[in-house]
Amino acid sequence: MILIIKLIKEGAMFAVNSVIANKLRTVLTLLGITIGIFAIISVFSVVDSIERQVRASIASLGENVVYIQKWPWGGFDGEYRWWDYVSRPVPQLSELDEIMRRSVTVEAAAFLASTSRRVEYLNTSISNASIVGVSADYDQVRNFEMEDGRFFSALESAAGRNVAVLGYDLAENLFTGLDPIGRTVKVFGHNVVVVGVFEKEGMGFGNSHDDTMVLPINFLSQFINVSQDRFSPFIMVRAYPGIPNAEMIDEITGVMRSIRRLPPVADNNFSLNETSILSEGFDNLFAIIGMAGWIIGGFSILVGGFGIANIMFVSVRERTSIIGIQKALGAKNYFVLWQFLFEAVLLSIMGGSVGLLLVYAGTAAVTSIFEIDFMLSASNILLGINVSAIIGLVSGFVPAWTASRLDPVEAIRSTG
Amino acid sequence: MIRVNHLWKEFNRKPVLKDISLAFEKGKTNLVIGQSGSGKTVLMKCLVGLVEADRGNIYYDDRDFSAMGFKERRAIRKELGMLFQGAALFDSLTVEENILFPLNMFTTMTKGEKQKRVSFCLDRVDLHNVHHLLPAELSGGMKKRVAIARAIAIKPKYLFCDEPNSGLDPPTAILIDKLISEITAEFNITTVVNTHDLNSVMEIGDCVAFIYKGELWWTGTRHEILHSSNKELNHFVYATELMRTLNPGK
Repeated sequence: MILIIKLIKEGAMFAVNSVIANKLRTVLTLLGITIGIFAIISVFSVVDSIERQVRASIASLGENVVYIQKWPWGGFDGEYRWWDYVSRPVPQLSELDEIMRRSVTVEAAAFLASTSRRVEYLNTSISNASIVGVSADYDQVRNFEMEDGRFFSALESAAGRNVAVLGYDLAENLFTGLDPIGRTVKVFGHNVVVVGVFEKEGMGFGNSHDDTMVLPINFLSQFINVSQDRFSPFIMVRAYPGIPNAEMIDEITGVMRSIRRLPPVADNNFSLNETSILSEGFDNLFAIIGMAGWIIGGFSILVGGFGIANIMFVSVRERTSIIGIQKALGAKNYFVLWQFLFEAVLLSIMGGSVGLLLVYAGTAAVTSIFEIDFMLSASNILLGINVSAIIGLVSGFVPAWTASRLDPVEAIRSTG
Repeated sequence: MIRVNHLWKEFNRKPVLKDISLAFEKGKTNLVIGQSGSGKTVLMKCLVGLVEADRGNIYYDDRDFSAMGFKERRAIRKELGMLFQGAALFDSLTVEENILFPLNMFTTMTKGEKQKRVSFCLDRVDLHNVHHLLPAELSGGMKKRVAIARAIAIKPKYLFCDEPNSGLDPPTAILIDKLISEITAEFNITTVVNTHDLNSVMEIGDCVAFIYKGELWWTGTRHEILHSSNKELNHFVYATELMRTLNPGK
């Protein structure tokens, strides 16, 4: 056993020396694998980063939260019967109260409506800022963190007080360098006191608070009719802990049909949307993008693999005499096989590592320039190295096998 | 001692060795001489098992090499030292690593034992402080000495040298020849040297075998070679003007 380990070490040393001795050839051989790994891992890193952010965004919607809306989510993998949905009524604020009164599975619920308006602070104004009106308990159904200040109280919400919680970016843009808490901004021509700022949430799935002003729905309803379709009203409901969404959905379906007095034969005129619908849709999307990454990078890696096989054949030809001498001095076939296989794998992993370094540099550059959180994950590094090693192993096997089977007579004939 | 009995070898139905019977004595430098293409290299390859003879037997101290299987032959191979044309050192390895190579392949010696053996072999070939040099940093003669050190590292009972002084200047070639001869006597090795260098013959030829067109034409010592009546041998020996001047009768 010790002898075998020694021989493996010896063979690896020959391989390392060969790689060092042929630097230019090594670099050129590595390029194919470098490009391949760069392509694959770049795609995966981008997909992973986007997927992570999208999933975080979906998670922020609440996993045990159901959205009562006019329009169903989905349509990722089939027909979207929009003509059936367009004539549905939108959820009403009054329906929120009924749901809370009748349901036994719902712990908390909130009504939301949104619009956009100019928001002003002294001489600074942000046009078309996203304005969302929410009912009390919004903080019970939507996951968020506060950067500063607080969310409005149930009393403020119920009374329709002129208080607001701002998204991180909106606050930054309005109050550059100033503490926003307690300051008064103007929206709909009225003064609103800022009581809190949301923590930065980053690129979200269309639901980030970053550029949003959140107001009590009873305050917003003084300026717009929140029951109108154009303000996209909807209700979020959260089940009690331990109650599955399916159970809550069953109950709410009955409650909503009852509220809307739908006859037994009529279809639902509302949609109960879950974040799992989005997750499933994105699973498919990311699977397709991932597959595209494999195909694009796979071809590069294939070419790189051929490059390694080619250079290994050249290497075997060049080192025929050395192989002969090694065999004459006692080297067994597996020693020669291991030596060339190790060299091929070493070359391939070196190429892959350079590709990974390029991806790392790329993700770091993109992150710093565009403020998008791209990163090269440990699993992708491992994947890149594994793919490189496998390509090296596969492409180096035939040349290594050829070398190990070389007739020492032929080999020694080419000596000196 | 190595004995060869009625050895035949053909390539593409063309005989290269024809019924060679010969003995290589222990503790002596046995030279096989002949012109290029005479078959002496094929004979050596048959001896070390790199080429399989068609007929005949090879005995290593009464062990029939021709009848041996792979494992038995590998055991014999551990007793063979080889000195190739050129020096055939591994360019990427240091002198020490070159000599360690057969020790790593054939022995289970400890690291310390191997280091000792390397130092001993290098001392024996009169090389000092070269352990960590690469072959490219050595002269031709030094490379050859390293190759000899590598060949004797595994304490061979039999040493095969193929054109050991090719490419060397005459004084260095003589030094290498003498070194081989000294090692042979000192370690009581059966040494077989393939050469067509007459200087080598005259310097170290304890036993000389002359092969001509695949046949053994003459055997004798270096002293007898100058007085042989064998026409083909004389043609080989007295091919140069210098030799003819030394012995005008030939």
